[in-house]
Amino acid sequence: MTKPPRIGPASRRRFLTLSGGAVAATALAAAGCAGPEKTASAGKAADGSPAGARSLTKIGLDYPFTQLPLYTTLVKLSTAAAKKHDVSLVTTSDASNADTQATNLTTWVTQKVPAIVSFPMVFEATEKIAKAALDAGLIWVTYGGSLENQSADIQFSFLEGGRLLGEAAARWAEEELGGKGKVAFLTDSTIQLGRERTKGMIDAFTKLAPGVDVVAREQAIDPDTGLSKSNAILAKHPDLSIILGITDAAAYGGYKALQQAGRKKDDAKTFVGGQDGSAPSLLAIKQGTFYRASAALAPKDIAAAIVGVPLAVAAGKADPSAEVPITLVRRSDGAKIDALLAQNA
Amino acid sequence: MTTTTVDSPLRTNPRALASGSLTAVRRHPLVVVLVAMVLVFQLSTGSFVDTANLRGIATDAATIAIVAVPLALLVISGYLDLSVGSTLALGGLVGGWLAGQQGQSPVVAVLGALAAGAAVGAVNGVLCCYLGLSAFIVTLGMLTAVRGLAQQLFPLPLSDFGTGFAWLGGARIAGIAAPVVIAALVLAAGALFLALTPAGRHVFAIGVNREAAYLSGINIRRTPFALFVLTGAAAALAGAIRASVLDSAVAGTSGAGFELTVLTAVLLGGVALTGGTGSIFGVLLGVLFLGCLQNGLTLLSVPTFWQLMAQGVALVAGAALAYFGPKATR
Repeated sequence: MTKPPRIGPASRRRFLTLSGGAVAATALAAAGCAGPEKTASAGKAADGSPAGARSLTKIGLDYPFTQLPLYTTLVKLSTAAAKKHDVSLVTTSDASNADTQATNLTTWVTQKVPAIVSFPMVFEATEKIAKAALDAGLIWVTYGGSLENQSADIQFSFLEGGRLLGEAAARWAEEELGGKGKVAFLTDSTIQLGRERTKGMIDAFTKLAPGVDVVAREQAIDPDTGLSKSNAILAKHPDLSIILGITDAAAYGGYKALQQAGRKKDDAKTFVGGQDGSAPSLLAIKQGTFYRASAALAPKDIAAAIVGVPLAVAAGKADPSAEVPITLVRRSDGAKIDALLAQNA
Repeated sequence: MTTTTVDSPLRTNPRALASGSLTAVRRHPLVVVLVAMVLVFQLSTGSFVDTANLRGIATDAATIAIVAVPLALLVISGYLDLSVGSTLALGGLVGGWLAGQQGQSPVVAVLGALAAGAAVGAVNGVLCCYLGLSAFIVTLGMLTAVRGLAQQLFPLPLSDFGTGFAWLGGARIAGIAAPVVIAALVLAAGALFLALTPAGRHVFAIGVNREAAYLSGINIRRTPFALFVLTGAAAALAGAIRASVLDSAVAGTSGAGFELTVLTAVLLGGVALTGGTGSIFGVLLGVLFLGCLQNGLTLLSVPTFWQLMAQGVALVAGAALAYFGPKATR
């Protein structure tokens, strides 16, 4: 009796040998590209005192949301900013996973990366690692908030971003809809950033436009979910006039849902707004559509802070922390939109 | 000359009709759950079966159905593809890039997307069918690798793909959204393939027992390989449709988690993960179940975390029903 072939045993062995060799070669090449770690000046700060002046040759940027377009922009701009100061920039790859982030940060502390700028996914969980970094004489800069154990921080008010958008939409509703209409919020309650933005947005809007009926608060941070949720809301409330998103991506999904429901791109009685200042949303604002506002951070300002704050700590400056401003961008802000688009290009 | 009209037994015999319906329900107990769910949502929201809402559900479900059909065939043949979420992102980006930045015609853009998806499927197929590596491991690896490739190639969001490309996601054919028409064609093609073609029967045979299939003279590598390629191409097509609907695509987030949604729809539809069992009608039910559930919970304004719980419980209940009910078509 003929035996059925085991699928390619010989070729499989050959494949495994070849792929093993390829992986090893790639790893060696990558190690070669990375090069041995240059002597960082961390040792000079072994006393752990942030006030002592020291030079800095390397900064570690730990931005966990690697799937976001902002990540690419930040890495590019921060690398360029660091290069101007003869500092190299290294990054983690956390893939939005708090456990991976903790592992990567612990590795950096063990390796004594001299300055770490970290955006903690779970602030409470990062305290211990930050303390270990300070105990090892490293510089720890918290991004997007504050920790008890830190050298300095880079602050953004996520609450403020939400508030700016909520107020702008409420004022528009008062002026264009006589304080009436229906609003749907696309929110996020899973991470601190999202909760703060959501709170700022909803509190500001409902306070200034109490006559507008809140018909939905749905979890959505990406365009697909924003589209799908907005489609469902529109089926029940076809006269929905305002969609506000915790991210521009989600709000953009809402913007497309309204268009699919037959709303003209420049409908005077519709308002969509989001937060982040992402390119598709900025373009829609610039084109004069009913996507009317975005609470945006300038990536260039953030990148400058990512490099500038650890350098300021290393130089022993008295108040090294920075606050990056959030601004509301509307159609009338043509120059600002162009500048933001250029930074994202 | 006399003419004799032979009526179908179902038409002349109501008992046969009832019995046939009962058999269909027994084979697909999810039908009962789906009908009950629609009734509950309609009674509690009053707007669930409105035309606009049903259109929305169908449009949302269309991309899931387009991928679920070839994936179901793959699972029936005893394989699996977990890389469809990333392939969807890659397809959408390639299509959008060709239509937008390269100014190519929508046809070229879609063909480009299909080629990218088919290439991913071909890599999966070679590694799984010809080199005999585990489909679970290979496609899990490809899920990450293709996502990384998409982010490397298109690190920034793409948008503004032009009106021609917008046709794919926004056009209406006889009043029905283009993605729904495409999904219907894919479902029909899948059902006909399984029921009427020898290759369709081979899919079942390979899934039931690969050795026996080989000894019966069936090419046990070519058919699953072709299904891998088809699944990749279908995922890329779904990506192009989504990119067209949104007029934008983001490498990091497009299609994230899509693989689990599609696989859930396939398994809910009664396709056995062990292979050899399943039907396209079941897959359609699974897709509709997921679409209706998500939409109904949104209409009811169920808070986020309760929605997650409700979705989980409903999925377990649906899967249990499918498991304890009689096995579907083979």
